[in-house]
Amino acid sequence: MNDGAYEGAHLGKDDVVLKTTDLEKAFGGLVATDGVSIEVERGTITGMIGPNGAGKSTLFNLISGFYENDAGHVTVNGEDVTDLEPHERARKGLVRTFQTPRRLEGMSVREAMLVGPGPQKGESIFSLFFSGSDVTEEERANIEQTRELLERFEIGHLIDQPSTDLSGGQMKLVELARAFTTDPDILLLDEPVAGVNPTLANDIKRFIRELNEEGQTFLIIEHDMPFIMDLADPIIVLDQGKVLMEGSPDEVRSDDRVIEAYLGGAGP
Amino acid sequence: MSAVSTWVSETLVRDPTERRIFAVLGLITVLLVVGVLTGVIGPRFLLFQIALVGMYALLSLGLNVQWGYAGLINFSVAAFWGIGAYCAALLTAPNSPLGLGLHPVFGFLAAIVVSAFIAVLIGIPTLRLREDYLAIASLGLAEVIRAIILNERQWTAGSSGISGIPNLMSWLPLTDAATTAAIVVVLIAVVYLFLRRVHRSPWGRVLRTIRSDEDLAKALGKNTYQFKMQAFVIGSVIMAVAGAFYAHLNLYIDPSDLVPLTTFYIWIAVILGGTGSNRGAVVGAAVVIAIREGTRFLNDIGFIQTLGIDLAPLRLLFVGGLIILIMRFRQDGLLPPKDELIWPAARDESSTGGASPSGAVPDGGTASNGGDDR
Ligand SMILES: Nc1ncnc2c1ncn2[C@@H]1O[C@H](COP(=O)(O)OP(=O)(O)O)[C@@H](O)[C@H]1O
Ligand SMILES: [Mg+2]
Repeated sequence: MNDGAYEGAHLGKDDVVLKTTDLEKAFGGLVATDGVSIEVERGTITGMIGPNGAGKSTLFNLISGFYENDAGHVTVNGEDVTDLEPHERARKGLVRTFQTPRRLEGMSVREAMLVGPGPQKGESIFSLFFSGSDVTEEERANIEQTRELLERFEIGHLIDQPSTDLSGGQMKLVELARAFTTDPDILLLDEPVAGVNPTLANDIKRFIRELNEEGQTFLIIEHDMPFIMDLADPIIVLDQGKVLMEGSPDEVRSDDRVIEAYLGGAGP
Repeated sequence: MSAVSTWVSETLVRDPTERRIFAVLGLITVLLVVGVLTGVIGPRFLLFQIALVGMYALLSLGLNVQWGYAGLINFSVAAFWGIGAYCAALLTAPNSPLGLGLHPVFGFLAAIVVSAFIAVLIGIPTLRLREDYLAIASLGLAEVIRAIILNERQWTAGSSGISGIPNLMSWLPLTDAATTAAIVVVLIAVVYLFLRRVHRSPWGRVLRTIRSDEDLAKALGKNTYQFKMQAFVIGSVIMAVAGAFYAHLNLYIDPSDLVPLTTFYIWIAVILGGTGSNRGAVVGAAVVIAIREGTRFLNDIGFIQTLGIDLAPLRLLFVGGLIILIMRFRQDGLLPPKDELIWPAARDESSTGGASPSGAVPDGGTASNGGDDR
């Protein structure tokens, strides 16, 4: 595919939560992210697709600060966060999940959920001794929120389970719920239904849609085409570290370049 | 009486195996008391051993904050212990190279300040990096501290050590041995209650998250570096307090105890007791020291003398064998952590009806089935 085929993403959107400008990242000789500029508009579910190795996870790692970029910028709500640590970016409202579910050893689902809200008063040793009642009040509220959220996600019965005993799909749900408790401006989900059975995947789709209707912005990487085509609009297509195109699900589906990229790309 | 047994069964004992462990511990206590009453064991000797076990329990509690709570690999337990011991000895012994002869309170204060300072110094370059960096740096620190004490004779008296360290609170109407034993019990109680409060809280929860997945904690907006630093400093300070106490227990200190073996014993105690569990750290320390001290007398037993072998030097072998046994039959240690890390005052009213009052994580099952998912 010649370079001219890479049309890039739509820029100049109205109310932008997350913006990347000419992001670049190379691993040795391999350019995994090659001048990526995208914008995510507030209130959308923006999808991100691309063949294996296109650089989707790498882009997430750059946006969330887990990888250091070689060049370019990341902006959240108009503020440049390129030099911030991952936890500082999360505090700015940019929260991600991971492609492989992270299991918290020795923690119940309730505990694992309660790590989400932040910053909590009870995370300061000083408060634990000198404003115990504030800690109690906040902890009660957080426990209540956890219970409601798990019930809403129809996994309320799992609250006492060791989090290591959950199935992959249940874990993905807990992760989604926990990420939501951080009260993020934008949630980045890396393959939220990878390895999840179709019924649970449908549930997850429904919950994401519900949260979105309440105003939550999402940027979602997903391999499952029917899933993401049904859920997201717009969809950004990544290929070989570059943005191939951006468009509605229909536009993406019928785009020759996208088909070519998925069929193996390197034609004559 | 029944109130006491309810308290014991709800806060200390959580499953049948724990009941057996506590029964064995109770039996040993009874035997020791009987031993003293019948004159087989000298009370002075026993009180000294209690103080010694207590000191190791403090060290284990300190390491448990670092490794058990936060997953920090610290191989310089002996160094922080030595820092505490030397702070106490140098400031309080009239014939130390500093010759100050200050009140013991200043020794303890210096132990706290100096150990906190050195912990921060080691933490700054290593805690931002992968976990193995702290492990390596702490190995180095242990040797550096030992070398400094050995070589800076004008300050530390080198290998000849410091004697004449005063007893603690000798104005108490007790024998010196009883006083030190009482003091260590109080120290353990204070540290234990402090740790209990900070552990079952959002703070403890973040540390446990860091221990199993630091990236996840970061992604949720936690400043993991700061949390790890706090755990590292708290643990190191507890170790230094144990060291300062030891100086006043032994009344003499030299660098020969600052060897890696001390660190090794503490690691064993924490793992044996149940990583992450404060109760476990205390019991683990007691077991390790009981074996270490108990095996000293093996050669005195007539039967073994007739075999003509020297058993005492084999005590590391006993410790090793015990670890293998426990890890085989009770993977998570003698008394693994049971409590959910939730602020207790908040859970009484608002936790779900399904939660049992004492630790809802059903790890009775996980612990005893030898589950490989932990
Ligand atoms: N940490 C890393 N070190 C070296 N190469 C990497 C690393 N992470 C990703 N890559 C490479 O970058 C490319 C993009 O990978 P990734 O972002 O995981 O793709 P995707 O998520 O789209 O499947 C791949 O060729 C991958 O091998
Ligand atoms: Mg990926």
